[in-house]
Amino acid sequence: MSAVAERANDRLAMPLPATIAEAIALEMERDDTILCLGEDIGRAGGVFGTTTGLQERFGSARVVDTPIAEMGFAGMGVGLAQAGMRPLVEIMFVDFIGVCLEQVYNAAAKIPYMSGGRQRMPMVFKTAGGCIGSAAQHSQCLWGLFAHLPGMKVVAPCNPHDHKGLMAAALRSDDPVVFIEHKALLLRKGRDFRHHPDVPDGAYTLPLGEAAVVREGSDVTLATLSASVEHALAAAEELAGEGVSVEVIDLRSVVPLDADTVAASAGRTGRLLVVDEDYLSFGLSAELSLRVIDRLGLSGLRQVERLALPDVPIPAALSLEKAVVPGPELIADRLRQMAKGV
Amino acid sequence: MTDAATARARFRRMAAMRAFDEACLEALRRKAIHGELHVGLGQEAIGAGMAESLRPEDAVVSTHRNHFHGLAKGVDRRALLAEICEREAGLCRGRGGHMHPFDPATNFSATGIVGASIPVALGYAHAFRLRGEAAVAVGVTGDGGSHTGGFHEALVMAGAANLPMVVLVENNALAISVQFDDVSPTETVSERAAAYSALGLHVDGTDVDAVAETFARAMDHARSGGGPVIVEATCHRFRGHFEGDPEGYRSKEERQRVRDNFDPLRLYRHRLAAAGVGEAEADAILAEEKSAMKALLAEVLEMPLPDPAGAMLYRFVEEARA
Ligand SMILES: Cc1ncc(C[n+]2csc(CCOP(=O)(O)OP(=O)(O)O)c2C)c(N)n1
Ligand SMILES: [Mg+2]
Repeated sequence: MSAVAERANDRLAMPLPATIAEAIALEMERDDTILCLGEDIGRAGGVFGTTTGLQERFGSARVVDTPIAEMGFAGMGVGLAQAGMRPLVEIMFVDFIGVCLEQVYNAAAKIPYMSGGRQRMPMVFKTAGGCIGSAAQHSQCLWGLFAHLPGMKVVAPCNPHDHKGLMAAALRSDDPVVFIEHKALLLRKGRDFRHHPDVPDGAYTLPLGEAAVVREGSDVTLATLSASVEHALAAAEELAGEGVSVEVIDLRSVVPLDADTVAASAGRTGRLLVVDEDYLSFGLSAELSLRVIDRLGLSGLRQVERLALPDVPIPAALSLEKAVVPGPELIADRLRQMAKGV
Repeated sequence: MTDAATARARFRRMAAMRAFDEACLEALRRKAIHGELHVGLGQEAIGAGMAESLRPEDAVVSTHRNHFHGLAKGVDRRALLAEICEREAGLCRGRGGHMHPFDPATNFSATGIVGASIPVALGYAHAFRLRGEAAVAVGVTGDGGSHTGGFHEALVMAGAANLPMVVLVENNALAISVQFDDVSPTETVSERAAAYSALGLHVDGTDVDAVAETFARAMDHARSGGGPVIVEATCHRFRGHFEGDPEGYRSKEERQRVRDNFDPLRLYRHRLAAAGVGEAEADAILAEEKSAMKALLAEVLEMPLPDPAGAMLYRFVEEARA
């Protein structure tokens, strides 16, 4: 096997968390003001392995195993940033933001503005969202919540390539960035991804706020992000067999929200479906739909639909979870209905 | 010395708790549980010890590792197991699952958010005081939860108001991978009690007799108007933090050492003997509890899962009534 092929093979065998750890390590190497705080991130390397090896490499002063004291260490991140450091604060699951939201939305997100731009807030809140079957308090996405509160960039990547590039961009950003991984994706290896499992070796960044067309199509535009991109691609493939051509767009971030790319596509297909694993109401799906309508005019689209978690806590039972969390089947059903329409 | 009847009862309680969590492990193997599962194996003496002094009117608010506390409070084990197995006939109709059992009938509840149990216990304690009831609110937490803001804030309020609250800290010295000694500013949790004008008690949580006595003392203290108590029970977690935990933070040898030396059921054998309960009888108790749980699990696995048509029910009272 050639060296190049061998390397590509290693990448495909690599768990997504290892790619994330690599991105953080590369940034910590180039910038010694970066440090990481969080539960189980040091000795254990993170509950999913996204900080594997970092403590051995950079020491326990730069990769800090914290007690379960989120308010304490989230605020500590704010202070570190004000003191000239660049903290990455890990909130293990995004659901736990409830105990420390104060420091996130009243401090980190508002201080740059409240200071009239004098105080920078270069920090990353890294966290895992998404449903893998652990019921109401351990399955949420919540990116809509962060997006609703002004002052934070909100990123939720869907493939290894983007996780690496967007993590680097988040760590180099002078603004607070909420970086939301998806637990189901964190359990995967490179080869399990339908899209962009390839990852360059060195450090690179991707711009925050640029959507990507991950599958071209002509009948329906489907915009989504995070693990739903994988579900959308599976559904699009199924629909292709039924003669329906679906264009799939990965938004990659909720703030900034790249409505231009979505509008350009929906303007061609005439049909827009926004799929969101976060709650339906007052969230991403309505916001994006309206921003597209703003761009195309009320008559610019034949259909606009949303498929999101109906406004209900995520149930424990698998039978109920499947009924409310948008998976490949629910997405395919909705696409089918839309294709039958006008 | 513990008399035979008491020793027997305590051992049976521990055996029942162990059998319950072993049934949960079996349910997981049979794919009847599809989320995270945290079992309490190794910590039976705490649940069994607290059971004796809990009254029906008392409240217990527990954690992600809640099964033994629920059983101690008298939650119906069939309903609890059915809930853990995500069944419509479960305690919460399959909506809550293993981390979120709620039983208003026994004043038992839990949370999957670490540290969030203690403020809720504070609420029960205030209600009991307000209504002049002689009930006690027990908030359970792990050592990890003792570092949270919620723990501190709730104890500040309970201490200031001298409320009937017992905070039970199950200190297994691990919060997932994080060792208690590495992050705690104090050697024990119980010594922090002084800061809250609370009584601090420390007990070997692998010794069911010691737990029963200490917990009874704590409950009496709180019930008789003495104010809040922190009971710290040291113990060991026999399995991973959750099922599937790779446990990279402790060696197989270390885990085996813990199982060999700190098994509360095995440790109790010499007390049973001293009380005149022989090996054969103890073995029989274990076998009975095991087979009872086996039968119960078989029954639960026959129960239907919730109908997807009802996925939106129970958010609001109108839906619960319908
Ligand atoms: C606020 C919050 N932070 C983090 C977690 C993730 N988490 C669940 S259990 C746990 C460790 C808890 O340790 P401890 O309180 O000692 O209880 P044990 O698991 O040892 O019984 C952590 C960090 C959580 N559920 N809630
Ligand atoms: Mg613990």
